[in-house]
Amino acid sequence: MIDKRLFRLPGTKKLLLMLAGLTLLQAFVVLFQGKYLAEALVNSWEQKSLQTIIYPMILFASAFILRHLFNLINTKIVENYASKTSETIRSKLLDKIYDAGPEMISDEGTGNLVTASLDGIDLVENYFKLIFTKLMNMSIIPPVLLIYIYTQNIASGITLTIIVPLVILFMIILGLAAQSKADAQYAQYTILSNHFLDALRGLPTLKMLGLSKRYAKNIYTVSDEYRRRTMNTLRIAILSTFALDWLTTLGIAILAVFLGLGLINNSFPLFPALVTLILAPEYFLPLRDFSNDYHATLNGKNALNSIFEILERPSAAKNETLKDFAWDENSKIDINKLQFKYNGVNEDEVSLDISKLKLTGYQKIGVIGKSGSGKTTLIRTIGGFLLPDQADISINGQKVSNFKQQNWQNKLTFLPQSPYLFSGTILENISFYRPNATLEQIKKAAESAGLEDFINSLSKGYETQIGEGGRGISGGQQQRIMLARAFLADDRHVLIFDEPTAHLDIETEYALKKPMEKLFKNHLVIFATHRLHWIKEMDYVIVMNDGIIAEQGTPEELSEHNGAFSQLIKNMRGDQL
Amino acid sequence: MNFFKTFKSDTWVKPYIKQYKGLLITALILGLLTSFCAAALMFTSGYTIDKAATHPINILLIYIPILLTRAFGIGRPVFKYIERLKSHNWVLRVTSDLRTRLYKTLESDASFFNEHHKTGDIMGLLSEDISHLQNLYLRTIFPAVISYLLTIIASIALGVFNRSFGFFVFLLLFLEVFLVPLVSVSIESARRAYQKSVKSDLYVQLTDNILGVDDWIISGRKVDFKNLTASNIQNLDRSQNKSKAFRRNRDFLLQLIFAAMVVCFLIFTNLTMTHNQEQANFVAAVVLAIFPLSDAIIPVSQGFEEWPTYRDSINRLNTIKPIPNNLPIQKELKPQNFKDISIENITFEYNSSSPILIKNFSQKIQHGEKLALLGPSGIGKTTILQLILGDLTPQQGQIKVNDLDISQIQVNREKIFSVLNQKPFLFNTTLLNNVRLGNEQKSDAEVKRAIDRVGLKDLVESLPDQYNTIVGENGSRFSGGEQERIALARILLQDAPVVLLDEPTVGLDPITENDLLETFFDVLKDKTIIWVTHHLQGINHVDHVVFMNSDKIEMEGSPKDLYKTNKHFQELYQMDQGL
Repeated sequence: MIDKRLFRLPGTKKLLLMLAGLTLLQAFVVLFQGKYLAEALVNSWEQKSLQTIIYPMILFASAFILRHLFNLINTKIVENYASKTSETIRSKLLDKIYDAGPEMISDEGTGNLVTASLDGIDLVENYFKLIFTKLMNMSIIPPVLLIYIYTQNIASGITLTIIVPLVILFMIILGLAAQSKADAQYAQYTILSNHFLDALRGLPTLKMLGLSKRYAKNIYTVSDEYRRRTMNTLRIAILSTFALDWLTTLGIAILAVFLGLGLINNSFPLFPALVTLILAPEYFLPLRDFSNDYHATLNGKNALNSIFEILERPSAAKNETLKDFAWDENSKIDINKLQFKYNGVNEDEVSLDISKLKLTGYQKIGVIGKSGSGKTTLIRTIGGFLLPDQADISINGQKVSNFKQQNWQNKLTFLPQSPYLFSGTILENISFYRPNATLEQIKKAAESAGLEDFINSLSKGYETQIGEGGRGISGGQQQRIMLARAFLADDRHVLIFDEPTAHLDIETEYALKKPMEKLFKNHLVIFATHRLHWIKEMDYVIVMNDGIIAEQGTPEELSEHNGAFSQLIKNMRGDQL
Repeated sequence: MNFFKTFKSDTWVKPYIKQYKGLLITALILGLLTSFCAAALMFTSGYTIDKAATHPINILLIYIPILLTRAFGIGRPVFKYIERLKSHNWVLRVTSDLRTRLYKTLESDASFFNEHHKTGDIMGLLSEDISHLQNLYLRTIFPAVISYLLTIIASIALGVFNRSFGFFVFLLLFLEVFLVPLVSVSIESARRAYQKSVKSDLYVQLTDNILGVDDWIISGRKVDFKNLTASNIQNLDRSQNKSKAFRRNRDFLLQLIFAAMVVCFLIFTNLTMTHNQEQANFVAAVVLAIFPLSDAIIPVSQGFEEWPTYRDSINRLNTIKPIPNNLPIQKELKPQNFKDISIENITFEYNSSSPILIKNFSQKIQHGEKLALLGPSGIGKTTILQLILGDLTPQQGQIKVNDLDISQIQVNREKIFSVLNQKPFLFNTTLLNNVRLGNEQKSDAEVKRAIDRVGLKDLVESLPDQYNTIVGENGSRFSGGEQERIALARILLQDAPVVLLDEPTVGLDPITENDLLETFFDVLKDKTIIWVTHHLQGINHVDHVVFMNSDKIEMEGSPKDLYKTNKHFQELYQMDQGL
């Protein structure tokens, strides 16, 4: 029921103690509330004057108010705890994303992580309320009341004791039945429930096919079918609430009848009977509260579970700290026996097995291969985004086992296939690697990337908002902003490109070629591409196939014989004019 | 007050209240009966005990209250159970109507998609809006209406015995079910709106954090990475804590009012019902009966909390209006009679404030001709396809099919045109059903033959469910190239004489792209093709190439001629081929 990991969160034990105390107090005021109400009612029943009920009435009202005051304090404590804990978790989650980084993101999915850190944490708050308040109420209030009822009337005590296990038994049986029924229909069910959204998104397609008018009837039919099935499942699903309701109200009814008969037989006076009757609904209340929200809060439990799973992922990085160095024309990297395997959900990812690879000075290295050959995996490993399972790497003579080294990564500029622009101004995006750069320097970088005219055409110039929610800009301009970023970061001498022009139209690509070639100077370039013209700019080529290096050498060497390189080029080119 | 203003010109909530009136009234009556039984159970139990305590000589005297106690004890859960089923049933029925209506409204407005395809997932939003309406009924309207009815009935019932006490109780209940909810909505509305906007900012920032994590790591700016969201999280937290405190205090206030009500009942019963024993036997009954009512009364305020969300949904739905059909008299054009498409000097702008997108563009496409359209992104290539289809109308010039204006053949347009997009849409159903959408008349064998022609036979037959494989959401079960092929099979069944291809191979690797283009031009060889593309791969398949730039046609001609005569084309082609 309770996730044991909860106790490891700071402040949990203290919270539990405080709540236990508070709930115990609450149990007693509930008891007093019933007791004094019963006293007042008995006095009225005995036809006594208003004066005689004033005292019990005031006590009843005070108990009633205190009860809700305690409830308020209780909620406040839990809510404060929940929001503090959520913040701790969220902060840890961000640390984790930064440290375990891209590999984790590819395993968990971006959507999952954003949802986990926003909506997931809200669900967790509800879960805390269920676990801490409602569970505590359920385990403290009914026993206190029950003990008191036993002291007043043993038969009622026994009746109430027997009902609870019955309730729980029924709820489990019916809950399981509902579950199995829901499970059996689940696949059909999700398709039906998503059908409408599917139809809306596909509306343009339906229109093209001339089906859109007729399809409206289908929308109704499917929606109605969904209604029918939902009702069928619901009939059973809410049976467990029904059972709870039925047993508890019936319990009260039976109690009333027993008490009535006992009173007729003169076995006991009115007061104990009345107080039992008043306390009976209070006795069942925590159980009903708990079960009402139980299903809703299960989501919270699952959310918490997935957050814990993320937090508990090992951060595999062995931190040999690479000492700082400068990358220049004499620097070199040796990679030997590098092996990497994805262990995520995505089966399509390629594993790597690289036996030998050397990167030196300001070489221009092209990485080519058909899709799925491991190009991206290789350059992401070199970028330090993926950690190899095993590798002998030497960077300028220093031995390391992976590229996730601060002092290596701060030499890099990375340009992916679809660049990610941050929500912010053009200025902020260009100066991302060097937030302290002067406007002068930024303008110069933008000029080198050929962005000048574009920025001047914008009414807000460098202060134009881009990225999510901002102005949408074309793919070519996005890549230029990334290039400007690279020009500005002139202390970074390694460029890693992952098919940066794959999505661009031919003329835009043509126009981008000049600034890119300019950027190549004084840089080690590692360039994954399947656009053939870039190969002419490279002085070394790695041909990837199935995660291994099929061939490597200068383009001239490789094109001399009919090996992997020549084959690939021929296939990529297709028929010619 | 925004609450009433929202409903003033609403057509998405009010009219449906009237629909399925019988079912709605049944659900409301059942809700009322549930509360009534709960109160009556305590009433009869209280009376049973009080009466029994007077030691009546004959047990039969408490027989009826005992019977009633049992009846109400069973009645409450039974009514509640049926009420929940009935109300869900009603809401789901209304949902089916709402969905059909939303669909039909969107269907009538082709331009809606053009305007909105940039603004994220508008379809997702609209379909969520409908679920918000479901919750509006189930969590807000039903409980509120039931509590109002209870208030009125209880006040009248008490008023029969004592008019002024009845009125006094009415005032207290009015506070609980009407005034407090309304005041709390108006206080919380602004705060909710603020929280919503902060939350959507946070969403953007977290997405920045996660999608941009590569750049963050390389930049070494870990502190900035964490600080990015910090201030918004703090603001959100502060505001949410205020909301929570407000909710706690409000609920406490509601309980205080309730306590006052109980005390009033205690005093009232003591003053008026203690003149003889028979009356006094009803004291406990009356007082205990009001306790279960708190279950129906206190949560009303809570039900109103989500109102700002519901209001946004109602407003959004109300802004979508069906577009009246302005088409001229439709003419019939048989597919076999299709001769040519002529685009005559068209000029187009989305609206008067945006720049002119297409200027004086002309082109004539003969039956069987293959035309490629190139140009930088944003230049209006896709817009030209939409103009050809008649989804958009040019401000100047005309587009004709044979001698008919394009607007005259809209009703049976699918007989003339088929379209293949960059991301063809696949419905989350079986492969067979998806392809059959092209022409629902076709037999299984013909559908399978189409799948074979696009080169998917071997792949499909190797799958465990073969042709009945579910394609998944947006076709996710298949790769990009395979999705294109499935959509192509659909077009083969549709068998229209003109095929518009809108960058179907963007984002595919060159080998897949080559194979796909081979298949396209092979199976569509007797069709007229207008192909928007972003580079020159496969350009040898077409008869005519048109390069557009922002103000004119930059160059055009057959690819072979252009390669010989045009230097710029030559450079582009050589770059594309890496020659």
